[in-house]
Amino acid sequence: MFCLAVLKDTVAVHPTNFGAPVDDALIAEINKKYANRVLHDVGLCICVFDLSEAGEGKVRYGDGFLWYKVVFRLVVFRPFTSEVILAKVKSSDEDSIRLTLGFFDDIYIPTAYLPQPTAFDPNERAHFWLPDSTLTGASALLDTPVAERMYIDQGEALRVRVEADEFCDDEPGPPRAAEGVTSRREPTRPPYIVCCSIAEQGLGPVAWWNGSGQADDGGDEIGEG
Amino acid sequence: MEVVNPRAALLSNYEVLSLLRELESENLLRTKAALRIKREEETGIGTGGSLPLGGNPHLEASENLRTIEVEAIGYLSAEYLPTANQTEEGISRLVKSLASCNLTKAEKLQIVNLAPTIPVELYVIVEELEDRFGDQLDDILENIRSSTTSARETAQTNGINGQVEHSADTVQVIQDGQWDEDADAIYEEDIYDDTGAGNGVEGDLEMDED
Repeated sequence: MFCLAVLKDTVAVHPTNFGAPVDDALIAEINKKYANRVLHDVGLCICVFDLSEAGEGKVRYGDGFLWYKVVFRLVVFRPFTSEVILAKVKSSDEDSIRLTLGFFDDIYIPTAYLPQPTAFDPNERAHFWLPDSTLTGASALLDTPVAERMYIDQGEALRVRVEADEFCDDEPGPPRAAEGVTSRREPTRPPYIVCCSIAEQGLGPVAWWNGSGQADDGGDEIGEG
Repeated sequence: MEVVNPRAALLSNYEVLSLLRELESENLLRTKAALRIKREEETGIGTGGSLPLGGNPHLEASENLRTIEVEAIGYLSAEYLPTANQTEEGISRLVKSLASCNLTKAEKLQIVNLAPTIPVELYVIVEELEDRFGDQLDDILENIRSSTTSARETAQTNGINGQVEHSADTVQVIQDGQWDEDADAIYEEDIYDDTGAGNGVEGDLEMDED
């Protein structure tokens, strides 16, 4: 889920920080720049792990900063494909379930990765799963008694498998005078999206599996998506 | 900015949690010190000098760092994750006991992160669990259980901040006079080190290549 990324950057230390130990000042500067940012194809940066190398501080013409060339290691959130993680349901809609880790919210389970047969209940605003059912089609599923449905409610802890991740770099290119204001595009995509699946035995709300934990042989035919 | 290696090593949740908690306690100390200096200035001579002697107001953690720190600590110490109940000794004992099982690095990492206690949880993490470890299953689960339960007993007394500090051995420091080795920044790294037992890692994990 977390890993270390080695990065190289040139860091400026302001004269007010010359009194502090140099490594502390550098780490503070790097944290200021990278913490809680998504780096393209790297992941969500958490904080500095340590400094690996740093050159001499140089003063350039024009400002009083000391510029250091630094190689450092960052703690980065980037779960690998097929990793199993635990996350809470943030919200549900017709197309997907959105999960949250607290510090990262752009985790989605598309309906294709839900255990079958499944349907979205618009009254409850939640997806539900009908174990041991052969019904197909949303309308048939929505006619079933509520007691048989297994809902995936908001705030529930889910065990999910990471299927894919995607980085989007939506830089707002140069403004085109001819198009004017009409060229406003759809709301910006999040820079980093993790796509997950619960269509597998053992995945899904933690509570589904903890109750029948020892009887794992009994549940073999369920949850094959 | 240049990315030298986007995934140099994998970190366990426990390592991240200890790092963040350490960062938080450092922050607390720093704000306390800054407050004390401020108070001394106010109650003291009151020359109006705005230069604090030792404190560096600009070294205060930025807003971004504070946010992610608090949120990540909140997630990692949630009750549905085992991380808050783990200890360094427990984890290293667990990894040693798993060494004989011929698990891949990724599988071991997930076992440490999630500490599965029931077979179905282990099914999800380990591929072809029954064919590979049909008879060892109970041993593995027992090892995992013992690594966290013993932690639960000592968690309150031991605390995360009382962890053992290792010397930094994998970091290359160029200017040794100036750059103190970050002694407390290396925890269990040898477990997931590149030179470690990475021979069984499957291709789709696209991990370190060096």
